[in-house]
Amino acid sequence: MQGKKKGVIPHKPEPEIIKMLKGSAHGFVSGQALSSALGISRTAIWKHIKRLRDAGYGISAQPSKGYRLDETKKRPFNVWEVSLLLTTDFIGRSLHFYQSISSTNAIAFELGRNGCVEGAVVIADGQTKGKGRLGRVWASPRGVNLYTSIVLRPGIQPQNATQLTFLAAVAAAETVKVFTRKPPEVKWPNDILIDGRKAAGILLEMDTESDRVNFVVVGIGVNLNMRRDDLPELIKKTAVSLFDKTGVEVDRAEFGARLYSIFEKWYKIYCKDGFPPVLDEWKGYFGGAGKPVKISSVGASIEGVCMGVDADGALLVRVASGKVERVLSGDVVAGG
Amino acid sequence: MEIKELKALYKFLVETDIVELEIEGEKGKVRIKRAVARALESLPAAAHRQSPVTEAKIEGPEAKKDDIRIMTSPMVGTFYRSSAPDAQAFVEVGSIIKSGQALCIIEAMKLMNEVESEFSGKIVSILVENGQPVEYGEPLFHIEASK
Repeated sequence: MQGKKKGVIPHKPEPEIIKMLKGSAHGFVSGQALSSALGISRTAIWKHIKRLRDAGYGISAQPSKGYRLDETKKRPFNVWEVSLLLTTDFIGRSLHFYQSISSTNAIAFELGRNGCVEGAVVIADGQTKGKGRLGRVWASPRGVNLYTSIVLRPGIQPQNATQLTFLAAVAAAETVKVFTRKPPEVKWPNDILIDGRKAAGILLEMDTESDRVNFVVVGIGVNLNMRRDDLPELIKKTAVSLFDKTGVEVDRAEFGARLYSIFEKWYKIYCKDGFPPVLDEWKGYFGGAGKPVKISSVGASIEGVCMGVDADGALLVRVASGKVERVLSGDVVAGG
Repeated sequence: MEIKELKALYKFLVETDIVELEIEGEKGKVRIKRAVARALESLPAAAHRQSPVTEAKIEGPEAKKDDIRIMTSPMVGTFYRSSAPDAQAFVEVGSIIKSGQALCIIEAMKLMNEVESEFSGKIVSILVENGQPVEYGEPLFHIEASK
């Protein structure tokens, strides 16, 4: 584990101070008002203000008026910002924020092993070893995108855990839609595409014990504000960010908080009504049915016409012989 | 009978939901009984009548030992022997392993499941090739449990 841990949601007044400063209509909030609202001394308030400034907040102070948040200065991305915006019951209520770590999935997996609560979330400003499928790297520069992992403890059997792949895709797609105002496309099983390029990637890792799911880590990386010029050469033609599409900077804390809330909504539906409503929703984003498709996997590839997915979410491909093959893994390299 | 043919037969069983099958050919007779919804189990040499599919597979010397354990696949998916194509395999035949050690990854639809050994001991055989599809409950490794 590397990087500096910002920690679980602190029972500290900083988020409350940010909230009060943000909510102030005429700009200034007096030290006295903060002091009585939070039940701490004005000297203590001053210390917390200093801490906020150190964390990157622009806060001005005037002797007779109090403190004011400089809204023109870009707010930092940190655990306070995310926790202030959370509207969930359990996802993100245990929040682990890092400036830079190896990968949020790796840290979340450790949390899961150590018995963390369901819904524990890891967020990083940047990752040094962002995980893709089969050892591939997820480009994770600091300061621009969202890299997050959610720990779930669903009461399901291991062979049904792939259903969570679709749930994650549905949640990510719906969240992207909120910010771009246009539904993205989902590439089987769970890449989120805008104009045919990858805006978000999802990777799940599961820990099982005998015939039981111990926990599942759902890792989601979303390209939010990464500029085209900042894209690594390898993915320049295949990746896209929400900023690319809309020209508007996305507030990462807002995106994260919205993602957790939408994820939780679908997770509750899944726990109550099972997989069919999730898969139905997923199908609404899937544009591959009826189109030519090619899937490559270790040492083999399969080509044909995509016939959609079956009730488990497996990709159905009608090959040249007319037989319909059921595909469970591999990369969709064309079509789909 | 070749491992390949056995695998094809096993697949046929799974697809058709047949639990037990006996075939007599030129090379002899084989009976396959499928283990349904079984995560893992020990393989007593004497229990031929109740043996799962692996009965037919294990005809080597290891079959005679009492302490051979089988790790089976917890889900349908693709079997990977390493975490990345260019990475070292988790284990080889002959590797001495500890309980909880990673043996392989089973992947389906971008869900990766690192399968950990339930036993300490030695890998005596790896029954599936890298990148091959596996069924739920399909045997993956034979492990000679340490005493």
